[in-house]
Amino acid sequence: MANGTWKIARRGNAQLPLVIVLALAVVLVLVGKAQSGLFDTARVRITDAMAPLLEDVRVPLDGLERWAGSISEIFSVYSENLRLKDENARLRQWRNTSVVLQGRVAHYEALLHSVPDQKLAAVLARVVGRANHPFLRTMILDAGTQDGARAGQAVVDEKGMVGRLYLTGKHTSWVILLTDINSRVPVTVAPGSVQAILDGDNSAAPKLDMVLSTATVKPGDQVVSSGDGGLLPPGLPIGTVVQDGNGFRVALLADATQSESVEILNFARAPEAPPATPELPAVAAGLKPLAPPAPAPVIPSSNAATATKLKMPAIPSTTTAVQGTAPE
Amino acid sequence: MGVTERLYAPAILRFLAALTPLFCGLAGVIIANIPISFVGGLVPPPLLGLIPVYFWCLVRPDLMTPAAAFAIGMLEDVMSGAPPGIWTLGYVVAYALVARQRESFAGLAGIAAVLGFAVAALTACVTATLAVALLHDHSPPLGAVVAELAMTVAAYIPGALVVSSIHHRLVGPLRSDF
Repeated sequence: MANGTWKIARRGNAQLPLVIVLALAVVLVLVGKAQSGLFDTARVRITDAMAPLLEDVRVPLDGLERWAGSISEIFSVYSENLRLKDENARLRQWRNTSVVLQGRVAHYEALLHSVPDQKLAAVLARVVGRANHPFLRTMILDAGTQDGARAGQAVVDEKGMVGRLYLTGKHTSWVILLTDINSRVPVTVAPGSVQAILDGDNSAAPKLDMVLSTATVKPGDQVVSSGDGGLLPPGLPIGTVVQDGNGFRVALLADATQSESVEILNFARAPEAPPATPELPAVAAGLKPLAPPAPAPVIPSSNAATATKLKMPAIPSTTTAVQGTAPE
Repeated sequence: MGVTERLYAPAILRFLAALTPLFCGLAGVIIANIPISFVGGLVPPPLLGLIPVYFWCLVRPDLMTPAAAFAIGMLEDVMSGAPPGIWTLGYVVAYALVARQRESFAGLAGIAAVLGFAVAALTACVTATLAVALLHDHSPPLGAVVAELAMTVAAYIPGALVVSSIHHRLVGPLRSDF
């Protein structure tokens, strides 16, 4: 550190390589702009190689974190207990309401023959690492392609959506968090089904950008995934709208810094297969096809002009005659 | 190992000693980017790879070449998940600044030496931030960048002691000793 005590090396004869290396660095940035996945393969391979180490280190580290966290909780345990009792009482009321509404919705769905929601397969994964960089906020999971994980799949914990898979290696996956600056998720704000984009900016509460500027939301509204684009399943709980100056943000339900186990939702809509035999749209919809129109009576050639004026359907066998004798 | 003994050491050992600055930079990047957080991911990791780049760029620029700074920056890109080339450019620009002003930086001592490193780290962070802002259509959060800069400068004090010890034990004399 005390540079003054060191002998200063003579200036290295590296001016030409420095210019070349600077140019190469600029080229790398430009290539990276065009191909953002340039280093993805190397990233997942390094993470896969580090996975056993992360597994080993995670266990004592989790214990250390819990121990450190419990020290601060000692001083707030009484007030926290009171708060939880109050919250528990309110949640019991909501549970009763929810059960009644759930039964009513099921009854209406049966009456309407509605299409049931798609069942989602899920992979349970543990969080083996977290990274908080200025340009990326991520968590690393111990499930990869061999477990069925694919890039783009939604990641949820017991409270709500955490993010989506960004990179998948053989044994590990990287999650891009909802709070990350690169995260954009289409959402629906209920009630009102207002469409919006959840826009991460590395803060704890991502911004809410309305698709329509005239849409109105208010603090307390619930935010769920909209499913637009078919990449994420609709209806995943995300958070609650909060006011932020003139705009709105979303207080997330899930806390990515505390999540230890998460689910990776396999939402892959199978493409709709075309019908085996070509059918009319009406038949495909289950309706009876209309009967072919009854043949119209033959119109004498002297009445052709009248028929033309009245726009009656022309009869194929008499078309030539009608055209040949039609007055100018 | 004294200066004379190092000068007459086997070629393989001298070769490994010459690679030590590069290995230290790569090791710093790996250590800093192990995705384990002691504080729930609240604080960004420091740019540990920049400490060997700054140190050996001052004392042994023949061993810490621009290509070595490029390689260390590229590994930082790979492991940090940043857009490709961002930290590579940041490291190389910081290297260029230190190389151009080597006499000034090497003459610093005490707190001034830490401030000298802070200028190099600031150069790397500003370069990376500007590159992201210009090329990726969004301005990165300045708070996170400032936090990373602060962590990097704070890590320089123990980091410089470590690389100084490695230098005196493994790398050998300064170029001016030859």
